Amino acid sequence: MNKLFPTQEVGSLVKPRWRLKGYRGKSLSKEEIAEAVSWGTKLGIEDLEELVKLLSEGDSASRKRAMLEWSAKYAIRFFETAGLDIVFDGEQWRSEMYEHVIRKTVGFKFLGYVKSFDYRYFNKAACIDKPKYVKSLYLDELLFTKENTKREIKVPITGPYTLVDWTFNEYYEKKFSTEIRDFKRRKFEAKRDFLFDLIKEVIRPEIDKLIDSGAKWIQIDEPAATTNLTDEEMELFVDSFNEMVEGLNCAFSLHNCYSNYAVLAKYACELRNCSQLSLEFANRDSRQTGIGDTRTGYKEIRLFEEHGFHGNYGLGVVDVHTNFVEPPELVRDRILHAAKIIGDPSRIYVSTDCGLRTRTWEKSFQKLKNMVLGAELARKSLK
Amino acid sequence: MIGCYATGVFPRPRRLIGKTRAYERGRINGKELEESFAKATETVINAQVSTGLDYVTDGMLRWQDLLRPFTESLKGIEVGSLARWFNNNTFYRKPIITDHVKREKDIVKSIMCLEKLPKNISWKAILPAPYTFASLSENQYDKDKTEFMFEFAGIINKEIRSLTQAGFSYIQLSDPALVYEPLATKSREDELSLVKNVLEMAVKGTSVKICLQTFFGDFSKILPEALDFPVDHLGIDLYETDLEKLKEHSFEKGIALGLIDSRSSLIEKTDELIGVTKEIIESVYRSRMEEVFICPNCDLDFLPWERAEKKIEVVSSVANHLKEEFS
Repeated sequence: MNKLFPTQEVGSLVKPRWRLKGYRGKSLSKEEIAEAVSWGTKLGIEDLEELVKLLSEGDSASRKRAMLEWSAKYAIRFFETAGLDIVFDGEQWRSEMYEHVIRKTVGFKFLGYVKSFDYRYFNKAACIDKPKYVKSLYLDELLFTKENTKREIKVPITGPYTLVDWTFNEYYEKKFSTEIRDFKRRKFEAKRDFLFDLIKEVIRPEIDKLIDSGAKWIQIDEPAATTNLTDEEMELFVDSFNEMVEGLNCAFSLHNCYSNYAVLAKYACELRNCSQLSLEFANRDSRQTGIGDTRTGYKEIRLFEEHGFHGNYGLGVVDVHTNFVEPPELVRDRILHAAKIIGDPSRIYVSTDCGLRTRTWEKSFQKLKNMVLGAELARKSLK
Repeated sequence: MIGCYATGVFPRPRRLIGKTRAYERGRINGKELEESFAKATETVINAQVSTGLDYVTDGMLRWQDLLRPFTESLKGIEVGSLARWFNNNTFYRKPIITDHVKREKDIVKSIMCLEKLPKNISWKAILPAPYTFASLSENQYDKDKTEFMFEFAGIINKEIRSLTQAGFSYIQLSDPALVYEPLATKSREDELSLVKNVLEMAVKGTSVKICLQTFFGDFSKILPEALDFPVDHLGIDLYETDLEKLKEHSFEKGIALGLIDSRSSLIEKTDELIGVTKEIIESVYRSRMEEVFICPNCDLDFLPWERAEKKIEVVSSVANHLKEEFS
């Protein structure tokens, strides 16, 4: 992109109530319909009467599909109106980053809820057969977004290492149970096989399809990248990324957050065809303005630089876990501070820490608007 | 000589999960949640009894993480933000030490459902080991990890006494941090001699059987030093431990073999586990065999309840076969 400090969001936006209830076939209250109209007006959505009519109708397959399209359209306009240069659809079609993929792929079975922390749980699946690609995971989203925006598109997809790390591996552990005696080695080899089969059978075919349909930039979401800090596991992660993108004519980036960046930095330069690392920094940073020592959250950029990473940064300047709306001056200083460390401002894309699905639309909008304003301030101060 | 038991937190059965979520969303009150915990505790205890475990625990369903009862109850410690629980997709809240630490009441006993534990089977309780608690805490008070570790060992000593008085005859100290070392390369001799002293303080004057249960890492890396630790039994995660290296050592202590993988949903084959156990027994007990326990490698709450139930059936079935052979 020619512009300095292009702005982007990581992926998700919370689903409005009218979309959730509408998709489930539930009837909506007057307030919920009014909310849809109010945001629709604010975002300049055309034919709002059509949506209102649809929301008052009974459940049907066509209403379900229309709900996905309407909320995707809202999310695209949301990002455009906030002023982002790079957009997508707020992942409005997906139930969630893990379940969305597992449910659409053959070879998995959900076993039930397991603990994440406190009273939070997640529905964990087991791989019970060789994964098989039977339908597209994200193609509808891409085609719809392409039709509805003129801005640059970045397609976020869930990475294979994370899918494997979050899934029980019954099929492959069973497969190796007679071949490998050592339990630890057996589990590792089973994981490797699962990972590379998943890439070959599911992820590559999907990426091929996305590229054939015009995807120019795909972001690989790998929150689990540094779950296992051993060299062997980190090398497996790197190998999986490289295998997934090898020989493809498309830009790829990696998103990873709330992780061990000291370890990721060591391996980032081994990622081939990775044009951008989209990382979370605002969450680690102070809220004071200024450049220099106050910017405690950005010190790890140095590690990536020292280890020889030469690509771009999706620089997290907006914390998605707080309702504090970062003032434009704070956003500006975070950008300028990072630019000073990196030495080349053109390597910075201004970004949120992670998807905004944890915030309301009101807060998300304020945060993104200020992010855009802050990027503009940073541009001006470098002129 | 052969026994079996569980080694940690059990998963919450489906119904209880629903209740905890309803509670979080304000749909049920604390009393209703408490009733659900009590009911689910019965389910978990009954499963242990009916599969024939030699020691039963109360299932620890209330424990949000291994450290939490202590993080929440000890004066001088605050509940911090979420941090990753070793190499798992689960999280614990970091204890933040802000002041001199003080124990004001019986911590674990007060959150147990003692009345639900069966009278005719021995009871086992599980506590965090001082090394792990100190390693996973953030010390803002005196910055000295060693001093805090001894203080915490003193607290554990009091907990063991209170649990003994309540009727528990077996205490497990869970010490994953002792063997989890993905990035460490330096020699750990000094560290292990410190751990020995800390454990001495924790068990001083106590009269129950004590096991130091390690998991998430290779137990062979703390050998031979661990053989001198002042505990009765040593717990080993066989899904992380180099079996060949383990077999090089001769043991004069009991062992708790983590033969059932709590982090995999695949149900193990009994025959294979029996074979591995026999191999280990033959190698490590060269003069006299000590007590051997068959158990899951770590907390079963990485699994949904239905799978955990099947896993303890495997635990019991392996133990029963071996009991016959070694009787």
